[in-house]
Amino acid sequence: MSKTTACFDGAECDSGLACQSPLATAVTSQGDPTAGKGKLCFKFVEDDTYFMNGSQVILSDDHIDIYIPMCWPIKLTVASIQGSETPRIQSQANSIKLPPPQSLVQANQCQQSNSISISLPASPSGITIGQAIKVVFGDAAGSAAIDEQLNQPSDSTISNSRAAKPGKFHSRSIPAGSSYGKAAAMGKVNGPLADQQRMPRSYSSRDKRFDSFKTWSGKLERQLSNFRGKPQEPDVEANDSDISIEAEAVPAVDRYFDALEGPELDTLKASEVSALPEDEKWPFLLRFPISAFGMCLGVSSQAILWKTLATSPSTSFLHVSLTVNFVLWCISLALMGTVSLIYSLKIIFYFETVRREYYHPVRINFFFAPWIACLFLALGVPPSVAENLHAALWYALMAPIFCLELKIYGQWMSGGQRRLSKVANPSNHLSIVGNFVGALLGANMGLKEGPIFFFAVGLAHYIVLFVTLYQRLPTNETLPRDLHPVFFLFVAAPSVACMAWAQICGDFSYGAKMAYFIALFLYVSLAVRINFFRGFRFSLAWWAYTFPMTGASIATIKYANEVTNVVTQILSVGLSGISTFTVTALLVYTIIHAFVLHDLFPNDVSIAITWKRTKLTKKLAHLRFASSDMKDIEASISGNTPQLP
Amino acid sequence: MGEEDKEGNRGGEGFTEGVGSERKRRRRYLTGLRIGRDLEGDVRMSEQGGGRRREENEEGNHGGGFEEEAGEMVDRMLQIITTSTTTSTSPPDRDVATEKTLSKLSILTRFHAGYFRISLSLCGQALLWKTLSEPTTDAHALRPIIRMLPSAAFVMLWSLALFTLVALCLLYAARCLFRFHSVRAEFAHHVGMNYLFAPWICWLLLLQSTPFLRPHTKSYLLLCWLFSLPILVLDVKIYGQWFTKGKKFLSMVANPTSQITVIGNLVGARAAAQMGWRESAVFMFSVGIAHYLVLFVTLYQRFHGSDPLPAMLRPVFFLFFAAPSMASLAWDTISASFDTSCKMLFFLSLFLFASLVSRPALFRRSMRRFSVAWWAYSFPLTVLALAATEYAQEVKAEMANLLMLVLSVLSVLVTLVLMVFTALKPNDLLPHDDPFLCSNLIPKA
Repeated sequence: MSKTTACFDGAECDSGLACQSPLATAVTSQGDPTAGKGKLCFKFVEDDTYFMNGSQVILSDDHIDIYIPMCWPIKLTVASIQGSETPRIQSQANSIKLPPPQSLVQANQCQQSNSISISLPASPSGITIGQAIKVVFGDAAGSAAIDEQLNQPSDSTISNSRAAKPGKFHSRSIPAGSSYGKAAAMGKVNGPLADQQRMPRSYSSRDKRFDSFKTWSGKLERQLSNFRGKPQEPDVEANDSDISIEAEAVPAVDRYFDALEGPELDTLKASEVSALPEDEKWPFLLRFPISAFGMCLGVSSQAILWKTLATSPSTSFLHVSLTVNFVLWCISLALMGTVSLIYSLKIIFYFETVRREYYHPVRINFFFAPWIACLFLALGVPPSVAENLHAALWYALMAPIFCLELKIYGQWMSGGQRRLSKVANPSNHLSIVGNFVGALLGANMGLKEGPIFFFAVGLAHYIVLFVTLYQRLPTNETLPRDLHPVFFLFVAAPSVACMAWAQICGDFSYGAKMAYFIALFLYVSLAVRINFFRGFRFSLAWWAYTFPMTGASIATIKYANEVTNVVTQILSVGLSGISTFTVTALLVYTIIHAFVLHDLFPNDVSIAITWKRTKLTKKLAHLRFASSDMKDIEASISGNTPQLP
Repeated sequence: MGEEDKEGNRGGEGFTEGVGSERKRRRRYLTGLRIGRDLEGDVRMSEQGGGRRREENEEGNHGGGFEEEAGEMVDRMLQIITTSTTTSTSPPDRDVATEKTLSKLSILTRFHAGYFRISLSLCGQALLWKTLSEPTTDAHALRPIIRMLPSAAFVMLWSLALFTLVALCLLYAARCLFRFHSVRAEFAHHVGMNYLFAPWICWLLLLQSTPFLRPHTKSYLLLCWLFSLPILVLDVKIYGQWFTKGKKFLSMVANPTSQITVIGNLVGARAAAQMGWRESAVFMFSVGIAHYLVLFVTLYQRFHGSDPLPAMLRPVFFLFFAAPSMASLAWDTISASFDTSCKMLFFLSLFLFASLVSRPALFRRSMRRFSVAWWAYSFPLTVLALAATEYAQEVKAEMANLLMLVLSVLSVLVTLVLMVFTALKPNDLLPHDDPFLCSNLIPKA
């Protein structure tokens, strides 16, 4: 372990981040003119670790990145660098020499919260060190002496820069995680060298580009180091504050519509940039979308279908064994367990991603999928496993659905910009179907009032959604122009509603029949436009679109039980065959994509849009904001003035 | 929670935080609007009330911004509303004596149909208490409370409701006589016109809760027809406007208060069913429910440019669950049993209630200052409690009884609180800067 220190004689400047020399810059932290020249020292703690003033310097083979966590007007030049041992890094204008391990010079304890990145290109004859050198500034633990002269002004700097921060960083895009993001945000500093941002990092440094999506990045480490009694690394703190900035920005629904396109809002528009690197594979959890629960929906509804086929009198001539149901149920249970496990890991480790999915106008509907899949599992439970389920299960499953409905339907009715005339999309059916499936299960269990409650809520909102989707309002931005498998969700609600109503009433009454015929008509009108699966990119969400077919075939079997003749029997067998065939085909597709093409989970760009807005929308929003606030002010003032008699 | 809460409540939190943040916020906007004035001075001025005028002009500009979106007529109204404060607020330096005489003279001008919310709530309460005290109602938990109160209390409540209603009706009649142009302007306004249903609804509710008349008597029949006919006439007028008349199509004028029209039909249907006129009851019910369907879908869709409901009027969002509850009550009376469709309607309204209650941010801006719009909270709650009572009677489960108890107590409490507020702040009840001041609704020549 060698001890190296370098002294930068810094000169500070008055305003702006514009550095005179784009190439060689160093930084002092004082904002106080009286402080005069400040000394910035960095200490060579280990071969690859530098600490200086809460900055991080990464020395790689051909490049030096200095991240100085500070957001303060500075304009500095490297005045003097002494050193002999360390190899030179040649740049066009200046050179930095890493000094030999001479003496332990004072290190500042100040910790700032934002960073400036300085990129110094190294000449080919640059650092000869084979190992990359990572320099982290500002480790107070190692520094014995503290430069008091610098400390005072830097404190004020901290507070100032903190106060200025939100305005500075609000809704700024942070394209590549923490440090890199800041480096880009402070693009002025690196100026012409911005393209050299993505340089090979040192071996010891973490990949920070995904940090803004991580739940624990920085936080956990800081807690751990606090726990050990070690002071925090400023770098980490900078990271953390950055995340909190990101988290503060509440994503506007308009942003999703601006940045994304496609019927599922899952492709980035050409004009947009992703917040995460698009050219490489992200961590698996980041690529795992909530629509993966669609698989559970597809398989568990198959389990119900085969249970119905085995137990219905109208299909008894098929002699279907209940074993099929049992096997399918076990598969779907295992699938459900796996998917929920992976997704809960995602919730734990990448909460920001989940949050972004939650605000995504199409994806939010898939948050119903896990609960609907659980309801399906409860509906399709093999008789050999359980005959009667406890009513508490129903309440436990319906509670989250109820809460999500409060959220979503409330948004339609009264919440901000997420008006139904804007966000209506066939996938909204997923938020409706939960009601009917819940009503069906509850009625199956013998409950009375609960199923009616959910049926009523579902019916009312189904009518609203049905009318809105049929209108194809020009304000509906996400409605697919062409046919898309997502349209099969149209069949889901009436077919499940038919079964639920039949179960609530106790017989297959006119209401149930009407719902069934509506479902059948929609099915047929979609089926005649057969060239469906052409020209669309396969996505995991397709699984969710198979359960309406299965639901329609189950409803047909139920109907055939009521009206038993050859036509209905043929119909029920035919529809069951089609749905099973579709699910099998989809399974083959999935296997091909998973094991042959390895692209089952492509980069999920819909969660990686930047919050940056175009100038126009920003301006408009600002105007709107301003005028509404004017109203507030007016109201409050008139409220405060005493009323004249 | 989400963006919509912030959105729906833009600036709402600012005022709860205090003056400091308000000032900050203000400054931000002023900067944002690039007003090249001395900001500090401006803020100071407006705090003294002097700078108000300029702000109003700002608002006027804002109102003008809508012009591109909405139809001409609606627009006109809108603009007038948003600029209303300019004309109505009086500068503080005006002579107090002049002010007094003016206010006395202008009480008719400042009165509008929205004040029937008060009598709507009171009549609803009267009906609720009558229903609860009926011997057929099995009000488990409420039984001791009801027994404690003397029967005179119900008569008192009924008389209070009657008195309020008569007083308001007289005021409104006087207004029709002396300020006919304001009434006409109100009739042309997309919020105001719905409240013209309110007096007739009140009378019908009062008729149903009357302790003196039996439903099958001649006078009951006469009164019922007397009060139902205006509703039908208004129906023809307003629903006709929706689907025929050029500029007032539904997607433009729909707002939560439109549900009062539906409630009017349903109350009429219930009154008719109570006196045994099943056919006319079914007629009114079907008219009401058909338009409710249309209205429900339209209100949920929330077209752009069709949401000119000021934040101050947000309490009328509660009407969302009044309509299905009323439908449930009406169908209950028509079909003589609380069947599945009644239950479904009741559950729908319960869900909508939960949905609205879970977004308090929506109402925060309107809760800053007492206004007559607050009375809009009470009536829907009362109707919901009524429906819950009928439901509890049908189901006879513990949960249903608990629900009835909670909702009844809630509605009574809300009404009491509103009465207290009204008594304490009579000035706020007839404010000088009511955006629905009908003198401002008159299109300027």
